[in-house]
Amino acid sequence: MKNKHYISLFLFITVILSLPLLVSGKDLRVMGSNRAEYWLFLENKPDSVLTDSNYREHFEDKLKLSAAYGDITLKGVFFIWDPSVFVGKKYGYLDYTALYQKNPVNITYGRYYATMGRGLCLNQYLDEDFRNDNSLLGVKGDIKFFNSTLTALSGRPRNLFFEQNIYKVKNDTVIADQIRGANLETNLIPKTKLAGRYVRINRKNDLTPQAFTELFGGNAGVNYGPFEAYLEYANLLGCVPVFGGRIKGKALYASGSLALSGLGLTVQYMDYDSIDVGGIGYRYNEPPNPIKSGIGVNRGNDEKGFGGSLVVSPFEFITGELNVNRLKTHNRTGQSTSLWRFGTTGVDEQILKIITHPNLQTEFTVSIDRLVKDSIELPVKRKTELKPYVDLSYDFGPFYVEGDYERDMISADTSDYYDQAVSFSIGKPEAFVLTLRYERRNRVPEWLVEKISSETQWPLAQLSLDLTNRHNLRIRVGAEKGGLVCMGGVCRWESPFKGIKIVLTSLF
Amino acid sequence: MKKLVALLFVAVLMVHAAETEVVDAPDFSLQDVDGNPVILDSLLKDGPVFMSFWAIWCKQCIKELDALLPYYDEFNSLGVNLLALSVDKARSIPQVKPFAKSHRWKYVVVLDPDNIMRDLYNVQAMPSSFIINQDKKIVFVHQGYKPGDEKKIIDTMRELFGKGEEP
Repeated sequence: MKNKHYISLFLFITVILSLPLLVSGKDLRVMGSNRAEYWLFLENKPDSVLTDSNYREHFEDKLKLSAAYGDITLKGVFFIWDPSVFVGKKYGYLDYTALYQKNPVNITYGRYYATMGRGLCLNQYLDEDFRNDNSLLGVKGDIKFFNSTLTALSGRPRNLFFEQNIYKVKNDTVIADQIRGANLETNLIPKTKLAGRYVRINRKNDLTPQAFTELFGGNAGVNYGPFEAYLEYANLLGCVPVFGGRIKGKALYASGSLALSGLGLTVQYMDYDSIDVGGIGYRYNEPPNPIKSGIGVNRGNDEKGFGGSLVVSPFEFITGELNVNRLKTHNRTGQSTSLWRFGTTGVDEQILKIITHPNLQTEFTVSIDRLVKDSIELPVKRKTELKPYVDLSYDFGPFYVEGDYERDMISADTSDYYDQAVSFSIGKPEAFVLTLRYERRNRVPEWLVEKISSETQWPLAQLSLDLTNRHNLRIRVGAEKGGLVCMGGVCRWESPFKGIKIVLTSLF
Repeated sequence: MKKLVALLFVAVLMVHAAETEVVDAPDFSLQDVDGNPVILDSLLKDGPVFMSFWAIWCKQCIKELDALLPYYDEFNSLGVNLLALSVDKARSIPQVKPFAKSHRWKYVVVLDPDNIMRDLYNVQAMPSSFIINQDKKIVFVHQGYKPGDEKKIIDTMRELFGKGEEP
């Protein structure tokens, strides 16, 4: 049993790579890619040194293959994760998808992703770079008619997430949940998009089969030259899992943008009240989050915020970017219904960035980020971060060099400390990039020792080698500090790392 | 050690499968940021296709597209359709068009929030670039970006689709 996944992986690779030999190669298209990753690292203990009893291993491989024949495409993803000889717990899957595409109909059977509108009602998506894989197993069909598209789907969700060096299906106790839904989008009115949708979720821990959760809503969008406006509304009617009792929720999301050559402006406003459907660490819907650094408050449960982004490039050699974003809980005190009243828990973010190219060879970047987190990283009540950053790169032609410096000045309640990092890279086009990085912390507050570690220095070296156009090998040796890492409102605590990582990506 | 052996085995298999003969490009039908349909077969009637997968958060992707921009007119005049394929999720869609415009990109910016293209073309690393000739064959693939890598893409396109003038 122990080697079952490896045997399956090797068989899978061998069979698929042999397919073109078995079927007439002219009609069959086989494509694929592979990402193999191996880590050897020390257990997270202070001052640990490598011995044969305190190191751990991590091996993962994700092989994606697709074979297309006429209007039918078959896709397979084989994933294996083998964490450590000492932990000994493995995880792996073989996902398959069959697609039939012939205008005006598309039918998908197997594993797929689905987002309706901006995700207020349903958002099962793959964020591969953040290792957040939210998929559905079932069937989905689209039909196009009169400038409109009708989508109907049914499937069981699987929300796989990587956290603290462990892959875990976050909804594994309720894997029998069932999602069904329909979405109708129409472009009948020129430059205008209208959509309506309904999603029904039956959960394993609902009290009775009749105690399901339903989400419904719609959106309207106008796209007129450089202007774009979008409004989405959703309602939730549901039952409290396990205990019973009714839940009502609602959500509003609006965005507007102006896009001119050399100028881009985006504004967003959101108000989410009990619209979240999911559990600890997972959601079946995921409304938009304006925070660029990805931090969320509670992913649709009680959030209100806005985002503003201005990108200006008055001349080709300079680009400036300003972001002002906020996401907080509601202010439940008093009866005020003001759009601009916020609660005390949440995030405020301001980013200013300037990129200049004084000549074709040089790029100079300077930025400053300010982030205020209130009751996000408990037990700290308020954490303020101010991050100045400078980066200079010069392209000599046969090779290029790049250096950067960043300082993260942190004030966490009564404790102040800072992290600073300097890195240097040298690279040769189509060949390699070698990066050396050194980061240190001036002191470690007690709460941080308990939460992460007492380490204060993180030296790191990375070599990225282009073996061919289709193969890249990355070797990283050294230490990474870990901490809270977020993307699109989804956060995880990343363990500190001391060891070696080898990553091979291939496209074939 | 067993895992390292497994990694090496996978590496050997993958490198063996490397530089395989050209394959047919998977069909796609998506929308650009203005809501216009972008269909591979229609594009190929006008000329070959270059497409690069990018996202707002991907620094190297933006650098690659910025670096290729001075060559846009040269390749556009040769009939090449140049696509910037955004894999940004639904939450980032409002920012894609303003971002591309503010960078003065002339590429057709296509949206793929549901990973349809990323899945079809089996993209594992960002950025990834593909060149598809008018026979619908993928004739060039490139993963990742570092300053200077654009020369390989430019040389390949000049070699495949005709010599243009230096910008």
